[in-house]
Amino acid sequence: MLKITNLHANVGDKPILKGLTLSINAGEIHAIMGPNGAGKSTLGYVLSGRPGYEITEGEVTFNGQNLLDLEPHERAAAGLFLGFQYPVEIPGVSNVQFLREALNAQRKYRSDTPLSGAEFLKVAREQAGALSMDMDMLKRPVNVGFSGGEKKRNEMVQMGIIDPALAILDETDSGLDIDALRTVGDGINRIMRKPDKAVLLITHYQRLLDYVKPDFVHVLADGRITRSGGPELALELERDGYKELAV
Amino acid sequence: MTMPAPTRHDEAWRYSDIAAVEAAWPLPAPESIIVPAGGNFARTIVQDNGAIHQLNIAIGKGATAAIYILNIGGDFGRVDLNVTLHEGADFKLGAVQIGSNAQTLEIITTVTHVEPNATSSQIVRSVLAGTSTGSYLGKVSVARDAQLTDSVQSVKAMLLDRSATANAKPELEIYADDVKCAHGCAIGELDPMGLFYLQARGLAPADAKKLMLQAFVAGVFEGAADEEMLIEAALKKLGELV
Amino acid sequence: MSDEIDIKDKAAWDAADRVADYEHGWSSDIETDFAPKGLTEDTVRFISAKKNEPEWMLEWRLKAFASWKTMTPPDWAKLNVPPIDYQEAYYYAEPKAKPKLGSLDEVDPEILRIYEKLGIPIAEQEVLAGVEGARRVAVDAVFDSVSVATTFRAELERSGVIFRSISEAIKEYPELVKKWLGKIVPMHDNYFATLNCAVFSDGTFVYIPEGVRCPMELSTYFRINAENTGQFERTLIIADKGSYVSYLEGCTAPMRDENQLHAAVVELVALDDAEIKYSTVQNWYPGDAEGKGGIYNFVTKRSLCQGKNSKVSWTQVETGSAVTWKYPSCVLNGENSVGEFYSVAVTNNYQQADTGTKMIHNGKGSRSTIVSKGISAGHSNNTYRGLVRVAPNAEGVRNFTQCDSLLLGSLSGAHTVPYIEVRNPSAQIEHEATTSKISDDQMFYAQARGLNAEEAVTLIVNGFAKEVLQQLPMEFAVEAQKLLGISLEGSVG
Repeated sequence: MLKITNLHANVGDKPILKGLTLSINAGEIHAIMGPNGAGKSTLGYVLSGRPGYEITEGEVTFNGQNLLDLEPHERAAAGLFLGFQYPVEIPGVSNVQFLREALNAQRKYRSDTPLSGAEFLKVAREQAGALSMDMDMLKRPVNVGFSGGEKKRNEMVQMGIIDPALAILDETDSGLDIDALRTVGDGINRIMRKPDKAVLLITHYQRLLDYVKPDFVHVLADGRITRSGGPELALELERDGYKELAV
Repeated sequence: MTMPAPTRHDEAWRYSDIAAVEAAWPLPAPESIIVPAGGNFARTIVQDNGAIHQLNIAIGKGATAAIYILNIGGDFGRVDLNVTLHEGADFKLGAVQIGSNAQTLEIITTVTHVEPNATSSQIVRSVLAGTSTGSYLGKVSVARDAQLTDSVQSVKAMLLDRSATANAKPELEIYADDVKCAHGCAIGELDPMGLFYLQARGLAPADAKKLMLQAFVAGVFEGAADEEMLIEAALKKLGELV
Repeated sequence: MSDEIDIKDKAAWDAADRVADYEHGWSSDIETDFAPKGLTEDTVRFISAKKNEPEWMLEWRLKAFASWKTMTPPDWAKLNVPPIDYQEAYYYAEPKAKPKLGSLDEVDPEILRIYEKLGIPIAEQEVLAGVEGARRVAVDAVFDSVSVATTFRAELERSGVIFRSISEAIKEYPELVKKWLGKIVPMHDNYFATLNCAVFSDGTFVYIPEGVRCPMELSTYFRINAENTGQFERTLIIADKGSYVSYLEGCTAPMRDENQLHAAVVELVALDDAEIKYSTVQNWYPGDAEGKGGIYNFVTKRSLCQGKNSKVSWTQVETGSAVTWKYPSCVLNGENSVGEFYSVAVTNNYQQADTGTKMIHNGKGSRSTIVSKGISAGHSNNTYRGLVRVAPNAEGVRNFTQCDSLLLGSLSGAHTVPYIEVRNPSAQIEHEATTSKISDDQMFYAQARGLNAEEAVTLIVNGFAKEVLQQLPMEFAVEAQKLLGISLEGSVG
């Protein structure tokens, strides 16, 4: 589904990714772990097309299509979803309005018929309910006045409504208490653990992986994958820290 | 005796389209509105044909006045409010100006708190494209006796093109010590992270921009009797810019 | 009823008595050589001749004088200043026992005593004999119209730093002076700047060569001593590529019943990667509690951040003068250049201050910060006036402005007049302003911890101004904190 080959990327003049290679197939959940500053968030932003990140070498294909040629909204329409580490506040725009416009823009791009207001609300209500989020919050402006945990939960509601093929979840576990962590973990499993979907979890800690069992764990250090393995690698990292393994 | 037309040296006209002002000179006397004690007054002004509006508003004891302005039309459009608040009165201004091409649009306010306990709130949002100029000159004046005044000015402008100009002068003149007076002013472009967030959820760049601009002006007209008409007219003009 | 009035009157008298103890309010008996009273072309020639100036300098002065006669004083500030009779003042006063510059032994001991009284380390020996590890400060002392001593000259010269009175620099470094004098503040900039061009008497010249970090703080102390004398000093600081200098300026004047005029011009230029930090503690005589006397302080200060990554930082603590009219500004021409303005202005009794800054962003990526704290007490008026302008081609400009006003008592005024003019969409300009008073809760809390009302106000005001005071070099910060307290005496109760 996603094939990253020898990816190099700069922020400004500073190289952050230095030859990253990774393949993700449908039905798989991958976790990328690594110390701060290793380039974890950069990977998420580069894959979703945030301006200001310069690709200097390498290629990325998504279902055979050259991902790097697409605009951010085209990547979204193609089925890629980025769960933001710091979801952005947009005063004045309600969640409902935002998501309906976003979903219908994606459907239009894929030549699907747009959802009516009633159809959309039904989907939205289902997803909010599944993540125990109050519908009132969906009517409020996007992320404005939300706590850290509420913002992350809102990201998951959005993921449920948009129903992407590949989700890249950047530090989705940060800022969550233990109950919220379970709710979010259940959400990821329910929405994304399907044979035709895949997930890339970017995380610093092992704890989310107790709820969302990865098939593969990779260590990202200094801009490349330095080690790959099964779920046991995450436990090893938790025990020994990154120092031993990073190099 | 008529006064000569103002020049750029006149503080209240420093950013005006002086040629247009001269053509319109002399101006008719300002409309005078007196809101009696305990009364409520509201007015919506849609400036869509290049006019100069001048209003003097005296708000009596415990009375309220709300003015909503959409300043979008003509080569030169100006709304000039001179507001006096008596004890416990409340004044609210919600104004949006949207400029394109070579338009010059401006909102001038002088809000004077002459007695205690009055409140005033001014929200002004400008979106400026092309070579347009949008200005806000707003003075809040608190007299010696006007203790417990509570006054806010929130001024924001968004420039869409390099040749557009935003001017702001949120002025405070305060002679009483027990007051709450604050103003905030921000001029900038659309938040790039917000735009990226919207695009990452599937909105095309132009749609993301439009949604952000809509959010930028939304809320200004809250509480207006013709809120929907105002928002619709604002969105229509915004649609022409993006 | 009448009892109450009596009590209030008494409180007012007590307050007046306290304020009358203006710390630096004594004048000194020094024989002084004056130019003839009044202002004519002859006055200009007299000053130029006294200084043995080259012909080009005299021409320049005369040109300025001719245009000054056609100009009118600015009237846009929120200031109430009675018309000034420019013919009633002396434009040049020189201590008679003329010191040989650079040789402290020959300075009139009376002058040295005055500076000692002011706490200025004019004698190098004194500083050297001071506490070990104490920072050394090179001082140029301007007494009325003449620079009387410039210290540490030899040591500065070893690192290539030129630190001179401007009169000397005109003779010794005419090319450098010609290149920049009047280039940052043009001769016709404004009424007071033009007047200064015609009659400036002395001031300081600093040149920091390429790549040099000035080894010590440079400082000028200005004092107006003679009666009816205007002081018109002129400062020019040139920071060549990659250099750094921190410059301090302090001002005092004796108590006089008449108003005295002070119209200075300060020009700074920073080339590529250079940085100038300019700090002022202005404590000219503010007049008495009834508003009589005090200095009229009309000052033009401007910096040119000409080079890429250049930086100029203005910090001012303004507690003195009857009238202050002053806007230290930055013209940010260089790419990624930085301008800063940190200001505390205190007005009490009948003082009036209209002060602020201009940040003119012409360079790409230029950034500026403005923090202004105004404190108004008594019958005073305190205005922040500022301009932030972004040119159409200046991409990526950032400005943040914070203007806070604190009112003490209900008879003063606090005003904020910001102008914001933006012509480039990528600019991010933020301006915030608040007005407040010291809350009863704050006062009670401080008093419950054992402070009297005046101490409590001083403490709270210092907290209010902390962000600015922190910008000052350490020696000045302590002095400034004390000054805030002294300036506000009599403002509570």
